[in-house]
Amino acid sequence: MVVLTLAVVAGGVVITQALSTAVDYYCNVDEVGVRSGCDTGRRLRIQGTVGEGSVVVTTGATLFDIEFNGSSLQVEYAGEPGGIFKECLPVVVHGVFNEPSGMFLGDRVEVKHSEDYVAVNDDRLQEAEADSAACETSA
Amino acid sequence: MTNAGFILGSYALTFGSIVIFAWRTVKVGKRLSADLSDEDKPWL
Amino acid sequence: MTIDTPPITAATQRRGTSTPATRVIGILTISMTIWLGVFGLVLSPADRDQGDAVRIMYVHVPSVWLAYLAFIVTALASGVHLFGRRHSLQADRVAGASAEIGVVFMAVTLVTGMLWGRITWGVYWQWDARLTTTALLFISYVGYLAVRGLEGTREQRARRSAIVGLFAVLEVPLVHWSVKLWRSLHQEATVLGTDLDVSLDGLMLFSLFVGVVAFTLLFVWLLLHRSRMLTMLDLSAESGLESALAQRRAEGGASA
Repeated sequence: MVVLTLAVVAGGVVITQALSTAVDYYCNVDEVGVRSGCDTGRRLRIQGTVGEGSVVVTTGATLFDIEFNGSSLQVEYAGEPGGIFKECLPVVVHGVFNEPSGMFLGDRVEVKHSEDYVAVNDDRLQEAEADSAACETSA
Repeated sequence: MTNAGFILGSYALTFGSIVIFAWRTVKVGKRLSADLSDEDKPWL
Repeated sequence: MTIDTPPITAATQRRGTSTPATRVIGILTISMTIWLGVFGLVLSPADRDQGDAVRIMYVHVPSVWLAYLAFIVTALASGVHLFGRRHSLQADRVAGASAEIGVVFMAVTLVTGMLWGRITWGVYWQWDARLTTTALLFISYVGYLAVRGLEGTREQRARRSAIVGLFAVLEVPLVHWSVKLWRSLHQEATVLGTDLDVSLDGLMLFSLFVGVVAFTLLFVWLLLHRSRMLTMLDLSAESGLESALAQRRAEGGASA
């Protein structure tokens, strides 16, 4: 009976957590300010691909662009993003807009691993580099 | 290997859980088997 | 307290839940699992973006596969109990054994997934559709086992849990297709999602295949042992009760 009660409570907590954090849900870069729920005045999660050559690491912050469907957005992230963060990979940035500068201030960056897995070997590596040079894998 | 701790840890956790669970199942089975006659064990 | 037990031979004791069939399956499982380790950790290549982290996939995906399989078997056995003419208690024990196995592997899946997520996404957990529904699936089956533990007769236990088992299995497709179902939340999910339907390098796909075969064999082995164990658990509780009653009668019902 105790376990059953705990299970029901845990289920409730999971659903509440999921629903409450889903409030700032994914918007693609090109939907910011366009799609309802993606207004710049609120907390957002924005998805886009890290722009090629856009990553600048300064003391205590990382600057980069995220792109999606032809739109681009400047992001300032306090710290160094974790995971496998690098150029040309899709990421989701959590944060708010700094209204005067239009810069998106990220406080959390998640790297989304794609469902494509490619082996690292010499031939493929060159291919991969050619790929990432064009940054054509996504967006 | 990068992130070896995480990767080997996940393998160790997976196989460790399997071994503990399987071992417990067999052990309890043997203990119960000692108290029951073979008629109660249709798989024999 | 002395319990009247039937004569036991050393041979009977040694047998336990194992039979020639489970021994063969056990040996196959162990050899496939060794191959899984060799392919997963050594022979398969690192991923272009993920590096060696991709190796977690070879235990993570087979674990969740085994858990899904276990929950589907629980539902099938629940159906056999509920709708079968004999309302078989043996089917109920298979359902219970399978759910126990599923819960263990669901826990393994969640933890290995968190470790994998920490490396690739940068976070252990994210309240995203796939992760949330997976957590709910795990909790549901912990609840299923709790229902089995409620007081009542064996028939009550079987009936209650069969109903729960038939409803809870509906979450399996929900979890699997959650990435697609919640597209509105994920927008154009061109890159998101951890679907089973992935594009994989040849050797990576083969390693995953080895894992799925090894874990399927493992499931069969565990289910045979565990359902036999649960059968004996029921019978020994019964005979324990009977002999306790017989003993009390013999003592003239003096003790309460």
